[in-house]
Amino acid sequence: MCAGDVAAPARVASTSIAVEVPSAGGTPLANGPPMTKRLLGAAGLLLCAAPLRAQTIDDGILLSKKTLCAGVVYGHNSWTEYWEGTLKRENGNVGTVTTSTVAGMATYGLTGRLNLLATLPFVSTHASGGTLQGQDGLQDLTLAAKFQAFSVAGDRLRGYVVGTYAVPVSDYVPDLFPLSLGMASQRLSGRGTLSLRAGKGWFAGATAAYTWRDNVTLDRPAYFTDGQLFLTDQVQMPNTFQYAVNVGYGRGRLSVPVTYTQQNTLGGGDIRRQDAPFISNRMNFKVLDALVMYHLPKLDGLALRAQAAYVIDGRNVGQSTTVLAGLMYTVHF
Amino acid sequence: MNARKSAHTSAVLTLAAALAATGCDKSITSSEPLPALTPAGVDAGAGTWKMLVLTGPTQIAVPPPSPVSASDYQAELTQIKDAQRNLTPEQRAAIDYWSGGGVLRWNQILREMVARFNLPPAPRDNGTYPAPDAENPFGDPQFPFSNPPYAARAYAYVSVAQFEALKSAWAYKFQYNRPSPSKVDSGIQALMPTGDLPAYPSEDAVLSGVTAEMMKLLFPAAVEEITLKAAEQRNAAFWSGKASPSDITAGLALGKAVAVVFTARAATDGMRAAVGTKAQWDAFAANAAAKGEQPWTSLDSPPRPPMLPFFGNVKAWTLTPADIVAERPGPPPSTSSAQMRQELAEVKSYSDNATREQVAIANKWADGAGTYTPPGHWNDIAAEHIRDARWSEVRTARAFALLNMSLHDAAVGCWETKYFYFNPRPTTLDSSAKTAIGVPNFPAYTSGHSTFSGASAAVLEYLFPAHSADFEAMMNEASISRLYGSIHYRSDIEIGKDHGKRIAGYTIKFAREDGAH
Repeated sequence: MCAGDVAAPARVASTSIAVEVPSAGGTPLANGPPMTKRLLGAAGLLLCAAPLRAQTIDDGILLSKKTLCAGVVYGHNSWTEYWEGTLKRENGNVGTVTTSTVAGMATYGLTGRLNLLATLPFVSTHASGGTLQGQDGLQDLTLAAKFQAFSVAGDRLRGYVVGTYAVPVSDYVPDLFPLSLGMASQRLSGRGTLSLRAGKGWFAGATAAYTWRDNVTLDRPAYFTDGQLFLTDQVQMPNTFQYAVNVGYGRGRLSVPVTYTQQNTLGGGDIRRQDAPFISNRMNFKVLDALVMYHLPKLDGLALRAQAAYVIDGRNVGQSTTVLAGLMYTVHF
Repeated sequence: MNARKSAHTSAVLTLAAALAATGCDKSITSSEPLPALTPAGVDAGAGTWKMLVLTGPTQIAVPPPSPVSASDYQAELTQIKDAQRNLTPEQRAAIDYWSGGGVLRWNQILREMVARFNLPPAPRDNGTYPAPDAENPFGDPQFPFSNPPYAARAYAYVSVAQFEALKSAWAYKFQYNRPSPSKVDSGIQALMPTGDLPAYPSEDAVLSGVTAEMMKLLFPAAVEEITLKAAEQRNAAFWSGKASPSDITAGLALGKAVAVVFTARAATDGMRAAVGTKAQWDAFAANAAAKGEQPWTSLDSPPRPPMLPFFGNVKAWTLTPADIVAERPGPPPSTSSAQMRQELAEVKSYSDNATREQVAIANKWADGAGTYTPPGHWNDIAAEHIRDARWSEVRTARAFALLNMSLHDAAVGCWETKYFYFNPRPTTLDSSAKTAIGVPNFPAYTSGHSTFSGASAAVLEYLFPAHSADFEAMMNEASISRLYGSIHYRSDIEIGKDHGKRIAGYTIKFAREDGAH
């Protein structure tokens, strides 16, 4: 049921790329860690499974029962320009911000309709300008359950619901944007996904997710954001909404989906003029993303994946380019 | 099959329920709530406490009020009763907001104002920086850039002006002894605690007048918010039955008149010359080089002019210019000395190996751009102790005045020292010494945080001796945080703390002799 199993057309589906919302957040100035993570969530898990049978939190694909797909994905994200609120600019005090990510991922088909997913990235950040120390460490563990809610039209159209929980697994500094490793917040996400096989190798999909974000505790006892001084170390994190649409073509061992994703933070202030970004900023972004997935012909279960993403518009995030590459292996029990 | 399907469904429903549950309560609570203030004492003698800037408590004349039996006063009481019959929820909220004490509330507002304006100008495309312009405060850059010296001066002007205005108000209150409206007329509810303090002139109105005028001077772009807050404070005093219109009118006039005196002082205290010129900035570097020292350079990109290099010449509150020079610490280790190499290596060790706990301490006290600054942090610390002491408004104002005079004087002394030696930051001497926090744009020696903290701890230990150990621990943590963050050498810190304590000694000497001790 894995690599090479082109015979299961039902699995040839979308891959709304993307964006594993909970981690998303986009980063202020950054798109750094979160953005990378977000794409990794897609990337890594996508790698699993058979050709054209990606498997992510937000795509329309499932691993078959008692199948485990695990692997590693490397991501490189960088930006020089960012949006200070809505003003696009550069900043010599950070120069080019680069985020590298190595993520371990696993997906397991508990049944034919329910998959469990896990992702854990190690992230490192670096600023080419200024004096600030780059950060590195384990970021957030993401766990998800994906359930196929329906299948109609001769299994050409499927619907999924996904629940996701993410939690920081190390005590990384939450307050050093754009160099923080992540959003430092526990997150719960609910997602719905539609996946359509149009025939002749074409596929399309749409997905939307709402993410609840728990408060974050800073190292400091007071902070100013969104026009107000807060005399507490607790930060209320606005929730986020995300949607994505994708279209792609797949044949044989190759699959090439293209995805447009938009994520909005439902609250939060802008980065002030010449201020540093803050964790609860209103970080919005629109991302275009293309990936190529290829299942190796002679190595059963191995899939290679290459992906590139570019932020075409944003607010309080960096205009980042992300490149991802990974290797995943699938086994059946 | 059905059983399995329902198991799946229930798993998804459970997760959905968990999502919904956690989405509910994310409310956060300020660490500094201000419950209604019922002062432990009225400080009836505060009108005799020593003045700093005013010549005496009656420098500003406050005419006698009408007797409580007069028809104009009786008409005022009727106005209060009419207002109290129709109080809206917003009016009641305003009463609650201001009943925690005007001095404490304005201190909170002031800290917020400092944080709002504590942002350096953004560079122009050609790599230069525009200067904030008091004549164009709404522009880009906004005015002011309320960096630590600016903020120290702002906290001090507001606090000292409030203190002087209230001492004057107290003199008239106990000279005229007009009770508060709710004491005169039992038909008037006391919706704010009034105690036995005479109402004329209204201390709330005094505070609204003096504070708003000083804050509009210091933060002109916030004129609307400041004006609205001040008006709300006066209205709250009226709606609550604490003060009559004539109590308020007299108080407002007194507060504004005191502000005129302080505004005149501010115009001539040397602040206007604190920025200096490029030729003067270059001379600092040339002087340091002539002494064989590596001069300070800006680590901002593009390089930014040094922060207020002549703030060391700004008038202090309790030290003379000669005192400032006399208290200046001796020189730092030479940039070419073995001791400096050793101190630099120590900084580098924290850059490479600081623990998460040490980084948390660096962040806790960073108080950099966009925050209420280190003086604001010490006001934050002081506010909770002052609130818990339940002092009268005038004694509360005294506490903030002592703290903020000392912080201002520490800023003057520290800045005088910094630009006298023009000592470079660790990252300038070793570019591999990356920092956990932003590097301030002024010379390293001595540490501003350490000087501020030494001065603050000394004043707070004077005010709250039972908590001395706490203040000492905070002072040490705030100071060493700069080494943990890799932006200061140990000498900057140790000598800065000592310098700050010595400067605070002048304020404490005043306090011991001001009649309130």
